[in-house]
Amino acid sequence: MSRLSWLSARRTRSASLCFFATLAVSGCKGLEDTKSAGPADVGGTLVISTPSDAGTLLPTLIAGITDRQVTDLLYDRLADIGDDLNSVGDKGFKPQLAERWEWAADSLSIVFHINPRARWHDGVPVRASDVRFSVNLIKDRALASPALPLVTNIDSVSVRDSVTAVAWFKKRTPAQFYDLVYQVSIVPEHVLGNTPAAQLRDAEVGRRGIGSGRFRLVTWQPGVKIELVADTGNYRGRAKLDRVIFSIAPDFTAALTRFFAGDADLFELLKTEQFARFANDTVRRMQRYPTLAYTTLTMNMKDPKSMGQAHPIFGDRAVRRALTMAVDRTAMLRNAFDTAGLPLFGPFPRGASVADTTLPQIAYDTTKARALLDSAGWTVGPDGVRIRNGRRLEFTMSVPSSSALRKQYAVLLQEAFRKIGVSATPDVSDFATFMSKLNNGAFDMQLNNYVPDPGVSGFKQSWSTAGIGKDGTNSGSYSNPLVDAMLDSATATFDPARTRAYARRAFETIIEDAPGIWLYETPAVMGLDKRIHPVGMRADGYWSHLADWWIPASQRSARDKIGLRPTP
Amino acid sequence: MRRYLAARLLQALGVVIFVTTFAFVMIHLAPGDPIAAALARPNITEAMRQELRAAYGLDRPVGEQYVRWVANTARGNLGFSFSHRRPVRDVFADALPNTLLLSGLGLVLSFAIGIFVGVVQAERPGSGRDRWLGRVLLVLYSVPDFWLALVILMVFAYRLPLFPPGGMTDAVMYDYLSPGGKLLDRARHLVLPVMTLAILTAAGVARFQRGALLAVLPSDWMRTALAKGLSWRAAVARHAFRNALLPVITLFGLAVPAFATGAIFVEKVFSWPGMGLVVVNAIAARDYPLVTAGVMLLSVLVAACALLADLAVAAADPRIRLG
Repeated sequence: MSRLSWLSARRTRSASLCFFATLAVSGCKGLEDTKSAGPADVGGTLVISTPSDAGTLLPTLIAGITDRQVTDLLYDRLADIGDDLNSVGDKGFKPQLAERWEWAADSLSIVFHINPRARWHDGVPVRASDVRFSVNLIKDRALASPALPLVTNIDSVSVRDSVTAVAWFKKRTPAQFYDLVYQVSIVPEHVLGNTPAAQLRDAEVGRRGIGSGRFRLVTWQPGVKIELVADTGNYRGRAKLDRVIFSIAPDFTAALTRFFAGDADLFELLKTEQFARFANDTVRRMQRYPTLAYTTLTMNMKDPKSMGQAHPIFGDRAVRRALTMAVDRTAMLRNAFDTAGLPLFGPFPRGASVADTTLPQIAYDTTKARALLDSAGWTVGPDGVRIRNGRRLEFTMSVPSSSALRKQYAVLLQEAFRKIGVSATPDVSDFATFMSKLNNGAFDMQLNNYVPDPGVSGFKQSWSTAGIGKDGTNSGSYSNPLVDAMLDSATATFDPARTRAYARRAFETIIEDAPGIWLYETPAVMGLDKRIHPVGMRADGYWSHLADWWIPASQRSARDKIGLRPTP
Repeated sequence: MRRYLAARLLQALGVVIFVTTFAFVMIHLAPGDPIAAALARPNITEAMRQELRAAYGLDRPVGEQYVRWVANTARGNLGFSFSHRRPVRDVFADALPNTLLLSGLGLVLSFAIGIFVGVVQAERPGSGRDRWLGRVLLVLYSVPDFWLALVILMVFAYRLPLFPPGGMTDAVMYDYLSPGGKLLDRARHLVLPVMTLAILTAAGVARFQRGALLAVLPSDWMRTALAKGLSWRAAVARHAFRNALLPVITLFGLAVPAFATGAIFVEKVFSWPGMGLVVVNAIAARDYPLVTAGVMLLSVLVAACALLADLAVAAADPRIRLG
């Protein structure tokens, strides 16, 4: 990642202080627009500068962030999750393609009534058979959909009539409704049905983007732009913006420059050093938004050289706790983000429905850390690095070269560990190699960025014993029966309060066991043109209510005035 | 001549096969694979990645994959890009014209400027003008290319917003412009990347051209031409320039493929969706088919340009006989 070299550190500091003073005054109310759009405020163009192109426009196959942003705008679900991201039952969910639903007495099936006014962007009505097709498609192993493990509890979908679909579940679980409506975007059978699932991944038909959302696809020029316009006849109402353009730049710097040059209205990946640019900017402003992304230093419980064995260093809980005590997370946060950093309180982001920021933490205490290592038999050697039975207390920290922030953190962590006699070396590799090490467990420590699903099941997949191995995402192979039991209970109870209580107990135990060091929540600040008025940004995606964003008629620029003219 | 051509073509074919095979093996030996790089979502399990590897045949031995790739390539099928989710042929069909436009303009402009400056310098060697131009060229020649591109971007697109910061056209307005407006928009987007390429290459060309001219100016035939009454300028234009052009022709032959690959940094800084960018991103994404096909295309380009440069030199200099 590149930095803008013309910014001095001093300017950065004063600007970021200024930025947070502004946010403090506004109390983060920037997340919600206090004004509302009038009838004349319909129209305008939003250009999003992004460094990554989409890989697919088929929601069943999305892998990258741009895939998700675009498909979320193009395709509707049966219902949309509420702003509190509750995944238990159907509380807070808002109707989309399903105008209403009814649970069976045994809760093993749910009847969805499709809105008869819903149309695909090619004019064909949305039918119950599309729901059946979408679920069957995602469950088809030949397609290898990334969402497949998340819908295993859905048994099937039957069609009662053209606008009534019945979803059948294998067992009654608190998240069964969420599993279906959040994980499955409804795709058109009449467009995709003639292509075998095994070929859909690579088929041209997967690039057409014919959905039922409030925006429809105009053009996708690979590596250049993806253009969407408002679907004026949409059953949920016309989007307030005329068009949204994802303007694709090949890297971070180019995308950022495009934003500051005025060629784009939104850039979502601002770094602290860029805050100074907004100090006297009359056109652009910074906008904080919620996110579920967080970063930990994950320790590998298994020896990467002998996968069946416990790791010779991190297999010992006392060593893990000592390493955690050696890290002054508050100071690091300040160093990396100035005042913009958000501390992490455990293996969860604060935007998660089960987050609890009051959990007790392992405090920074290097004296205790040294004492713990001494008592564990690690004595300081002649060069200052601790030794036990001839083995030095040294390891590597795997970091992707694409992340300047994580590389910076690796250096800070290296210094923190050095102070207690531990030698940690950053192991910087390109992203593909980094991922290969992660997937194969070939690392000692790894600076991991997590973006969990809003539901509790994601935590189970990442931190329970069931998540170890090729069927899970527990890359550090952390295992504790108590955590397994608590996460099982959290995903089994139908009472949201009890879900939170079980999750709290699981998180508390994980924090005590210290299988990772909880570093930071990614401070999500976007650059936004002042004429854009965002509405209701949700932690699982700031674009969740993008169709309701608006631009006052009095502030329109030339690109806002294109209107809905079709592309020539 | 025919035997020479046949031998050179055979030689070129050998080079292409060797380079492509080497690239195929190296990219497969690199850690990571296209599936791991593309599917980095935390909720994607290793079991799913393995299923996809099997679906694409990536779980087969490298030798078997190579044989399959050769067989497909021989049938004109360059494979399917994992990162673009499109046939490699389509990806190249989009990117290659963009690179040809940028590199073609950059190449022509840089050689035109370089040759002109070289001639101006050689006209009065050792003069103040020659020394001053020499210093400027040395500075430009020494400047890191990536740095120069960024400075040009910052100055002319950001500080003084005279030109767009990147892309081939205006992302929003282009489709709604008149034909003349479209042409102008495209030209405005070309200015900064072409200028960067031209500045960097012209400095080297000028130094070559000046050196080549200074080497031929003391020749007997130049003295004869001047003694027969030709003006200095006419003698240089008619006799010296043609002789001094030979090393520049060779340089041109080498520069064409270098532009195709070496313009990567310009494509990256100015968001120009060309071949260089496609191949570099493909390496990062471990997009095996795209990398291998890209290397094959570029090696064909290098071999063809080297051959054409040799033929051009022979055409320009009757003393050279091929074969």
